[in-house]
Amino acid sequence: MRVLVVEDEADLADAVARGLRREGYAVDVAYDGDEALDKAAVNTYDLVCLDLNLPGIDGIEVVRRIRADGERQPPRVLMLTARDRTVDRVVGLDEGADDYLVKPFDFDELKARVRALLRRDAGRSGALLEVGDIELDTARHEARRGGRPLALTPKEFSLLQYFMSRAGQVLSQEDLLEHVWDENADPFTNTVRVTVMTLRRKLAEAGEGQPVETVVGRGYRLREGP
Amino acid sequence: MNPPERLLDRLPEWTRSIRFRYTLLYSAVLFGLAAVVLAAIYLVLLMSLRATPVSAARGTYCPRFGDCITVITFREAERLINAQILNKLRFYSLGALGVLFVSSLGVGWVIAGRVLAPIGRITSVAREIQATDLSRRIELPGPEDELKQLADTFDAMLARLDAAFAAQRQFVADASHELRNPLAIIRTNVDVALADPDASPDDLRQAIAVVKRAGDRMTLLVDDLLALARRQQPTPEHEPVDLGAAVAEASEDFVVPAEARGIVLDRAIAEGVVVSGDREALKRVVANLLHNAVRLAPPGSRIRLATGSERDRAWIAVADEGPGISPEDQAHVFDRFWRADKARSRADGGTGLGLAIVRQIVESHGGEVRLHSKVGVGSSFVVWLPVARAAAEPAKR
Repeated sequence: MRVLVVEDEADLADAVARGLRREGYAVDVAYDGDEALDKAAVNTYDLVCLDLNLPGIDGIEVVRRIRADGERQPPRVLMLTARDRTVDRVVGLDEGADDYLVKPFDFDELKARVRALLRRDAGRSGALLEVGDIELDTARHEARRGGRPLALTPKEFSLLQYFMSRAGQVLSQEDLLEHVWDENADPFTNTVRVTVMTLRRKLAEAGEGQPVETVVGRGYRLREGP
Repeated sequence: MNPPERLLDRLPEWTRSIRFRYTLLYSAVLFGLAAVVLAAIYLVLLMSLRATPVSAARGTYCPRFGDCITVITFREAERLINAQILNKLRFYSLGALGVLFVSSLGVGWVIAGRVLAPIGRITSVAREIQATDLSRRIELPGPEDELKQLADTFDAMLARLDAAFAAQRQFVADASHELRNPLAIIRTNVDVALADPDASPDDLRQAIAVVKRAGDRMTLLVDDLLALARRQQPTPEHEPVDLGAAVAEASEDFVVPAEARGIVLDRAIAEGVVVSGDREALKRVVANLLHNAVRLAPPGSRIRLATGSERDRAWIAVADEGPGISPEDQAHVFDRFWRADKARSRADGGTGLGLAIVRQIVESHGGEVRLHSKVGVGSSFVVWLPVARAAAEPAKR
C-alpha cells in the first residue's frame, strides 16, 4: 500500500513517514501543496495523509484537486489538522477527506486509522483479511496459512496484503511497484520479481499448493478459492 | 433594620415597580390639582354670591282676606337659589373628584406602562445575553429620545464587548494552533522512536534532537504569548527611561549574531533622550526589531539602528537591506502569527508574534510604530514615543 505524507513541518512529516514505513507501507513525503500535487499526478497512492494548513496551495485545495482527477480511483485522504474547531473538520470532510486526526495525535491511532481507511478499499470491515486458507491480521502484523504462522519481511507482508485486498485480479509488476514500493525503488531492478518469489516460497512451505499464480505476460494473481 | 424597610419588603412585588410609583404620583398630582381648582371655584363663588339658607330668609305676609302666606323678597329668593347652586356644586364637585381619582389611577397605569415599555425590552435583552453570546442587540425602534439613546449606547457597548471577546477567542485558537504543531512533532517522534525495538543510538539521538528543537520553539512561543498577555493587563508603572542607554543595551546582544552572519550593525544613538515607560518592555521592542532584521537581512548587508528626538517625540529606527515587504503584506506584519513565508520562518525560530508585541508595547506607551518598506530594497521600522517632559505635564490623550 502506497502512502503520501503531506506536511510542512519537516520534523513531523519525516517521523510519520518513518513510522509508517516500519509498518510496511511504501511512503513518499511532500513538504508543501505543490509538491503533493506533483507527486499525486505522477504516482498512484492508496492513501494521502494531509496537513490542512500548508504554505502555498492549502490542504483543502489539495484534497479538491486530488478528488477531481477522474481517471484514476482517488486515494483515501486522512486529514491532519492543528485546528480543533468543528467548522475546519466539516470543510475538510465535505471536500472529500475520508477521516481526520487532530494534532497532536497518538501514532498508534494514526496507524489504526490508516489501516481502517485502506480496508475500506478491500471491501472488508475487520482488521483480519482472509483469502482461501491464508489469514492476514493487519493490526498485529501477523500472517498465517492454514493456521501456521508465516515469517514475512515487512515488504513481503505488504505485498501479500495487496494481493489479498485484490484477490482474483491480475496484478502487473508495474501495479505492484506502484502500490507496494515507494518512489525510491528503482523500476529497472527485479526487486518485485524477487520479493514475489520469496513470498511464494514461504507460502508454499506453509501449506498445500501455490496460491499466487503467474499469469504469463501479464503478472500475478492470488487465487480466491482453495 | 428599620421598620419602613420591613414594611416595603412585605408589599407585593408589583408595588415596588417604577410603574406603580409613577401611577400613584400621576394620580395624586392630577387629583390634587383638580381638588385645588374645584375648591378655588367653590370658594370664589361662595365669596361673591350672597347665599342664605332658606330658613333664614323667611317672612310672613297676611293679606286682608285669606290666610297668611310665607313671603320673601326678590333678594332673598336670589340668595336662596345661590345657596342651592352652591350646594349642588359641592355635591357634583366631590363626585367628579371621586371619578377623577379612580380614572387617573387607570390612565396613569396605562401611560406609565407605555412610557416604560422600552426599558422592559432593554432588560429582557440584557437578561438573554450570556457572556459567551454577545451577538444580540436591543435595536429599539422609535424616535431619537432618551430611551433610544440609552438602548443605542447599550448596543454600542455590546458591539465593543463582542469584538473584544471575538479577538480573545481568535487569540486562543491561534495560540493553541501554534502550540499543537510542535506538540505533534514531539509526540510523533517519541511514539515512533519508542515503538522501534531495534532503534540505533543514532536514531534515538536524532529523535531527541528533533524533540529539543520543538521544545525550544514552544519555549519561545510561550515566552512571547506571556509577554503579549502581560501587556494586555493595565499598564505597569512607568518611570523615566534613558532611551539611548536602553537601546544600546538591547542592541549589545545582536552584535555577535550579526557579525556571525556577515552583517554590519551601525548604531547612531542620541544621548539625553528620556521617555516615560517600562524599560524592559522598550528593550524588548528594540530586540524584536533587531531579531527580525538580523534573521532576514542577507550576509554582507548593513543594519542601521538609530535613536533621536524631534520636538516632544522620541524615535527609534531600525533599517535593514533585507528582502523587503510587499505593500499587501505591510498591512498584516503587525498581526499575531502572521508570517511572510510560513514554512521558512517557522523553521528558523520565528514565533510570528515579535511585531505584534512591538506594536502592543509601543501603543501602551502612547506611541506608534511605522513601517516603510520596498521589495528588494529593504525595510525600516520607526517607533515614535512621547518624551518624558510630557509626563510631567497634566496627562493628555
